[in-house]
Amino acid sequence: MNKAIFKQSNGMYAINIVSACGVFTPKQFAGLGQATLKCDVYRLKLTTRQTVVAVLNEENLAKLETRLLALGLSVSPYGGTVRAVKACAGNAALCQRALGDALDLGIALQEKYLGWELNKDVKIAVAGCSRGCTDPLCADFGVIARSRDSFDVYIGGRGSTRKPLHGQLLAENLSTVGVFQLLEHVLDTYSNLAHPKERLASTVARLGVRAFAPPEGTFTSRNEQLDDEFLAFISKEGEA
Amino acid sequence: MTGTIRSSAMVDLDAMLKPLQNICIECDHFHSGDCKPATCMIGFASRSLKFALQKGILDIPGASGHIPRSDMKHYFVENIIPALAETCLQCRECRDSHSPDCVISVTRFCLENTILEKNIEYPGSLFMYLAMVKEQDPEIAQILAGEIKRKKNKGRECLESNGHCKESGRAWPCGYTHTITPHTGH
Repeated sequence: MNKAIFKQSNGMYAINIVSACGVFTPKQFAGLGQATLKCDVYRLKLTTRQTVVAVLNEENLAKLETRLLALGLSVSPYGGTVRAVKACAGNAALCQRALGDALDLGIALQEKYLGWELNKDVKIAVAGCSRGCTDPLCADFGVIARSRDSFDVYIGGRGSTRKPLHGQLLAENLSTVGVFQLLEHVLDTYSNLAHPKERLASTVARLGVRAFAPPEGTFTSRNEQLDDEFLAFISKEGEA
Repeated sequence: MTGTIRSSAMVDLDAMLKPLQNICIECDHFHSGDCKPATCMIGFASRSLKFALQKGILDIPGASGHIPRSDMKHYFVENIIPALAETCLQCRECRDSHSPDCVISVTRFCLENTILEKNIEYPGSLFMYLAMVKEQDPEIAQILAGEIKRKKNKGRECLESNGHCKESGRAWPCGYTHTITPHTGH
């Protein structure tokens, strides 16, 4: 797996640092500050993927990387891999608008899939509501919470390039477990069907979103159960 | 840290239930054994609110698809308006992120069916909603706007008083816009 370390125009190197979907503990944040001072980091920059780029001289790269690992941070993978997951602050403790635990799901997805090697880079974004602060419709695999432990999944989005695309709805009302199962299914299908170096968005555009749909009945929607419960509640005998 | 995902605790669903119960009391089927909430607009709305309260949720995925369309009972505008006004007050004005399965939206949809010719695709903002009601029925829009204003003024009473709010039990200002009984002192 390639690491995201790139030579810059000024001859220095940029190293892309990944935390838990952009969340740092104060200890990690202070530790990162100290590490960058010790390693003579020239500048730090926040990225659109909620990572931090540090620019420093080549001879200090290894030293900084060792310090990052000690802080529970890592260097972003690069190339055909699952990249750092973008997740909004939607969870029970933070954003009041959140419909579901997006941040927790994003962190869990990143812990499991970051660095998985694939045909091309795969970008995942998770949002706690349809406001979509993390642009889930512009991700290869976008997840939007619709209520507690209920998520809609869009695939085939692409935010950049001259031809940006919005993802298409692949599945609705999935539980957290269902999101993991679906992601694995999508990545497997992508690995099998994609042309060399073809991005997921292009594969979806070429074959259609249904090519990525799991076989009928693969996932039990949490909300099918809720729906049954709701209908039973509505239909109960007696006064309203 | 503690907190909650968007839940029924964020709005006063009880305040929405009370005017619905007032409608039920005046219904011919009330306590007659013929009351079938699943096929009645008001019954469906009430049960939806109770379900949301019981589950602690604000969104019931799929609920809007189950709203009964065949309820042909006659409803009096003056009975419906207080309930419709309360849905307007409780609405979080989510604008582009409005969900039709939000229990406030489900209730509003049911109430609209009883007095308006057609449902209004909620624009996510109270102001725009009133303008759309006015397009269909200027008289209903005027009564509704008046009722919303009246309810808001009652709520203001709470904010201007000292001590504890008798309705919510919270310390002043309780922040609620109370709907059923005016604050008569704290």
